[in-house]
Amino acid sequence: MSAIATTATIMRYAFRAGLADYRSMYTWKSWLAGWFVRVLAQVSFFALIGERISSDERATFYLLVGNALAVAAVTGVFSLNATSSERWAGTLPLLVASPSSPVIVFGSRGSYAALDGTVSAVSALFVAGPLFGMDLPWPRVLLVVPLTALVAYSCYCFGTFLAGVVFRFRNINSFVVLTSYMTIMAVCGVNVPLTYYPEALEWISRFMPLTNGLLAIRGVFEGDAASAILGDAALEAAVAIGWMTAALLSFNQFASRGRRDGSLDYGA
Amino acid sequence: MHGYLAGLKLEARLIRAQPDSLIPLVTAPLFTIIFLAIVRESGRYDLQPDALMAPVLIALWWVALQHAGQIITHDRWQALLESIVAAPTSLASLLFGRVTTVMCLGLVSFLEVWAIGAVFFDVSLRFEHPLELVLILVCTAFATAGASLAFAALFVMTRNAYTFTNSAGFPLYLLSGVFVPVAVLPGWIHPVSSAIFMSWSADLLRASVRPAPIDQFWGRLGMVVLLGVISFVIGRFVLIYVLRRMRMTGELATA
Repeated sequence: MSAIATTATIMRYAFRAGLADYRSMYTWKSWLAGWFVRVLAQVSFFALIGERISSDERATFYLLVGNALAVAAVTGVFSLNATSSERWAGTLPLLVASPSSPVIVFGSRGSYAALDGTVSAVSALFVAGPLFGMDLPWPRVLLVVPLTALVAYSCYCFGTFLAGVVFRFRNINSFVVLTSYMTIMAVCGVNVPLTYYPEALEWISRFMPLTNGLLAIRGVFEGDAASAILGDAALEAAVAIGWMTAALLSFNQFASRGRRDGSLDYGA
Repeated sequence: MHGYLAGLKLEARLIRAQPDSLIPLVTAPLFTIIFLAIVRESGRYDLQPDALMAPVLIALWWVALQHAGQIITHDRWQALLESIVAAPTSLASLLFGRVTTVMCLGLVSFLEVWAIGAVFFDVSLRFEHPLELVLILVCTAFATAGASLAFAALFVMTRNAYTFTNSAGFPLYLLSGVFVPVAVLPGWIHPVSSAIFMSWSADLLRASVRPAPIDQFWGRLGMVVLLGVISFVIGRFVLIYVLRRMRMTGELATA
């Protein structure tokens, strides 16, 4: 079997393992009654803040769109929990000992998160939007679906990079997940325009996932030119590639260090 | 009392050993930045006190759901529950001690939020009713401890508490009006919100940092305490039932 075919097989099995993990957490009923209720509550929470701070409905819609897309970001970043799952299952040292690279497994195993993030964010937008009186311009609004998928994938790439970091410092897993997600919410244009913060922070946020994709999606709703939307989408894709490259370069280093100092233990 | 003090010390040591326990102390400043940025960017400087109070309440909900609420489940996973139940000290007093430590951690977020507002945004909380503010914070922490005990007892019965805790945060923030008052929500939600102690705490906290006198202060504070006591009682009864069932079925040590 060629190297590419072997890699594809590993990725397929890893994806199926991730999907099985996800199915053990959620059935479609618990997804709808649990997770999706949380997503709608999160988007509504910020949309209501928008209604409270201004009588101009654009403030509400700004927060609604930003926080719906932030859901795609959180789900993507959640993909790094795959590392901890392997640890709890006692399979982490076995994965590192296997001849394939752990990044192939972790990169594929958490990829269901990008899919889940896309479905969650788009559903939130299409349910909460009309509830708050937001116009969804047809058929232009359909562009939001692939752009949301791009954002979710970009955040998933970022999550895979963080999985490498957590691989080495596993006792800070939840800490990394939540602080990353909150930082994205704070600086990536989710709640206030990028221009609100100092220029240096605006520049940094351009290298974070979500920022550029969110600008593209806001552009769709505001009727921006196709070239502007495509430009932002291209930047988001570049950020995604950048984070995945960083993950590929750093992941094996972190794993090797763990192998050298014997810190790839089982359990907590 | 020995059990209570042992619980206090044990949880303090566990928090020191687990950096994840300090998550609310990191998320509270970030929520403060987000909320203050929203209100200031829109020119609503009058809402800055509300933006400062909301992260404190969110931090308390977080410790109740994610930390204190998971205490028994984690003890069970680590096969500690058998030893704790077999010990002569009451499990409830030990738990109460541990939950108290966690609540103190949650209340540290108040100081953080205050500092973040002052350092990064030059916004300071005006302590218009300092005594009332302290009483509200103490009673809210007490009621949150009650809710934590109820969560801890209920979660140990479920197969996958993670699904619930991961989903319950924002619905609770919304229903308890941590930032947007419950009065703004649709009328059919009001009875549900009234049964949540945090909705009373949120309204009181917002009122305590405004110059106007606080309407019906003692009655509303009494509701916070009453709802906290009800949570304690529910938690205590569920705990008795769960432990009895585990003893009978031999599941005390199984995850």
